[in-house]
Amino acid sequence: MTEKLEKQTKKLNNGLQINVVPMPGFNQVYGVAMANFGSVDTQTNKGTLPAGIAHFIEHKLFAKPNYDVSEKFAQYGANSNAYTSYTKTAYLFQTLDNPYDNLKILLDLIQNPYFTDKNVASERGIIDQEIQMYLDMPEWVLEQRILSKLYPNDPIAEDIAGSSDSLKQINRQNLLSTYQQNYRPDNMNLVLVGDVDFEKVENIVEKSNFHQVDTPLQKINRQFDPIGRGGFEKMDISQARSAYGIRIDTEMSGYNLVKEQFQLNMIMETLIGESSKNYQEMSNLGLIDDSFSYNVVAENNYCFIIISGSNNNPQKFQEYLRNHLTYDSLKEVLTDAKFNRIKRDAIGSYLFAQNAPEAIANQMAELYFYDVDYLELINMIDSIKKEDVLMIAEKFLKDNNSTYYNLLPNRK
Amino acid sequence: MRKTLAKNIFLNINSIKKFRTIKIQVDFLRPLKKEETTSRRLLANVMSNSTANYPSFRSINDREMELYGSEINVFTRNLLNFNDLAFSVEFADPNFLIDGQTQIKDNLELLNEIIFKPNLAGKEFDHISFETEKRNLISNLISIQDNQDLVSTLGLTKLIYQNNPDRQVPIFGSVDQLNNLTNEKLLEMYQDVIQNDTIVINVVGNVDEEKFAEDILTSGFYTQMNSERPDLKIEFDKFNQLIANPAEKIEHKHLNQSRIALAFATEGVSKKFNRLAPQIMNLILGGDDQSQLFQQVREKNSLAYSVSSTYQPLSHLVTIQAGLDSDSVQKALELISQQIDFIKNGKFSDNQVQHAQKVMLTRRKIATDSIQYYIMRSIWETVYPKTLMSDEQFQAELDNLDREHIASVANNLHAIAQYQLIGDSND
Repeated sequence: MTEKLEKQTKKLNNGLQINVVPMPGFNQVYGVAMANFGSVDTQTNKGTLPAGIAHFIEHKLFAKPNYDVSEKFAQYGANSNAYTSYTKTAYLFQTLDNPYDNLKILLDLIQNPYFTDKNVASERGIIDQEIQMYLDMPEWVLEQRILSKLYPNDPIAEDIAGSSDSLKQINRQNLLSTYQQNYRPDNMNLVLVGDVDFEKVENIVEKSNFHQVDTPLQKINRQFDPIGRGGFEKMDISQARSAYGIRIDTEMSGYNLVKEQFQLNMIMETLIGESSKNYQEMSNLGLIDDSFSYNVVAENNYCFIIISGSNNNPQKFQEYLRNHLTYDSLKEVLTDAKFNRIKRDAIGSYLFAQNAPEAIANQMAELYFYDVDYLELINMIDSIKKEDVLMIAEKFLKDNNSTYYNLLPNRK
Repeated sequence: MRKTLAKNIFLNINSIKKFRTIKIQVDFLRPLKKEETTSRRLLANVMSNSTANYPSFRSINDREMELYGSEINVFTRNLLNFNDLAFSVEFADPNFLIDGQTQIKDNLELLNEIIFKPNLAGKEFDHISFETEKRNLISNLISIQDNQDLVSTLGLTKLIYQNNPDRQVPIFGSVDQLNNLTNEKLLEMYQDVIQNDTIVINVVGNVDEEKFAEDILTSGFYTQMNSERPDLKIEFDKFNQLIANPAEKIEHKHLNQSRIALAFATEGVSKKFNRLAPQIMNLILGGDDQSQLFQQVREKNSLAYSVSSTYQPLSHLVTIQAGLDSDSVQKALELISQQIDFIKNGKFSDNQVQHAQKVMLTRRKIATDSIQYYIMRSIWETVYPKTLMSDEQFQAELDNLDREHIASVANNLHAIAQYQLIGDSND
């Protein structure tokens, strides 16, 4: 009989939380260290940092005096990687053998920065190529543009990697001070999924060079400008892309914010998901194709929904969404039977993700910052009531919190 | 458990308890034909759009949600010289659900519905389903032009297979073929598939093998799949002409980044040589972040963010892809050539070989943490068992690797195609 997942957990004296989740039958061990720090965190008490600095740190932390951390991981049979999102940065490894040696390398990776003028300069060229690659992806450009309308003048509207110009302002000094400000045990957590001994893990982390920082973590209270009017631009693409954005100025945080994200997803699934009347109708009218999707994002201070896809008639697409994303429409279609189906679907998705150690580790690490235990998500989903969902919809499905952006083909 | 239900209809059930889901996949295989590629892809889309008892996309989705988010997937892909039209359903293992209800029969029935109970209107598919999916597919095919990595891959593939018309149409079809495809013709294609394709059914997950086999044999599946099918003939492309006259194409677009894609045949490597030598050579060349290409092109010269090589064991091709500034293309091509020479001349270290060996073993074992691994392995066991190695054989080949074999693979690399998608200059 297969066992349900369980975890061992401890918050160390220095403030770092560690979690271990055994996965019986799986060969790999997957480890992730995550910082509650991402591309939007550019505003400090001393001024504004260049866009892309979190992502630059992610790239450059791999450099150490006389070696590169990915090389060390490779020596111990692990492959390693890292990623930066709007609000988080994560460092990870996946291995068959030597999990404890690889854990030590992961700790070295996040604890010992080595930024020099030379290695910073060489990384600029690589990251600039990454930025150029994304600039050729219409879906990525569209996401940035709609965010610049939802959150005008806010760092979330910048590319996670920054721009060719902002890269020039990143240097050894601001990398180091930003690192020191954010890479501290009480602003991070560590998750290992697979066959490892919790006590050994704890012992290794305790012995590592990760010290408690006494100064309180800097908290920035974000004030957002009013939502911008819709817009468009022309691009060398074959087909138009259109995005419709909704900004949710919620007072929720932590556990309640995650719960609200599930509720917003249920609203979207009911109104424009593949099982909705609207999806079928938009499809029959030729307003959407397989690229149509919606994404509900709820992270520190930010909560928004982006609905996007390729289409030949962006205006009609937006008009349709404006007319159908309403509380009245939801009330009409969200029957008890429909609600139960949607809830079952959410529970199923949770189980599907548990086939993948990386999904478990990354979600668990991320949810830690919201005071949510990943293994209890199923109960959170089960506790959601239809009335809660309707209440959220009544509050947020209104006329004045949406906008749009279109990328139109530059026809010659 | 393995059963042959009729000639060229196979059932494989693999009871594995570690996954949270159960997956049933049914693959319909026949030789690739350029006239059929687009229609098989559209067929996949139309059949997942609606069925006789679930006459709309909406109603199928409602049913999937009811079954705790079961995922129906219908797609086509190239497998050897065959077109594989695959239908699958993946669903939550009931042991992990709050109510613990078993849904194996319900999911089997849903898959049966998708494959064998199409939404028909006389001698055609339902008009709305057909028109919607045709429009959708055309739209997707147009959008592909905006995915520059894919454009570059397709550009290279077209050059590699320029002498094989059946591979000239990409697996997801072409707009020209779609425009000429009628609803009636698509239904004829469906009937042909159901009657004549080789079928491989795979089940992976926490199931009772005997019970599941009984469920299959007493379901609608078996009554539709008990007639014998023609044998499949495996064929491989030859690249002799391209070795003599490599193909090259340069296209220009308004892009921020240029892409280069190169292909090499590994003809002439002695059959006596280690079976894993080409894969080890590829790992040293560009298979991961420790490789020559990554270290020299990206890390040392900051020319590219992405640069890698891939070895395709069935076609024995090595391909290299990179995204970079248009001004750096020539320098990158020179560096790529230098890295191949580096291996040809045996300059790679023993550490590089040991690392590549370790990566090969790790990738193989980690792959077994995915449900899809078992399905693919079982398809190969059925269709082309020669390509598989047991764990013992694999380990023995790894242990017996010889530096000379690795260098020999590089020495037998023949450039056969190069595609460049050149963007705007930075100047």
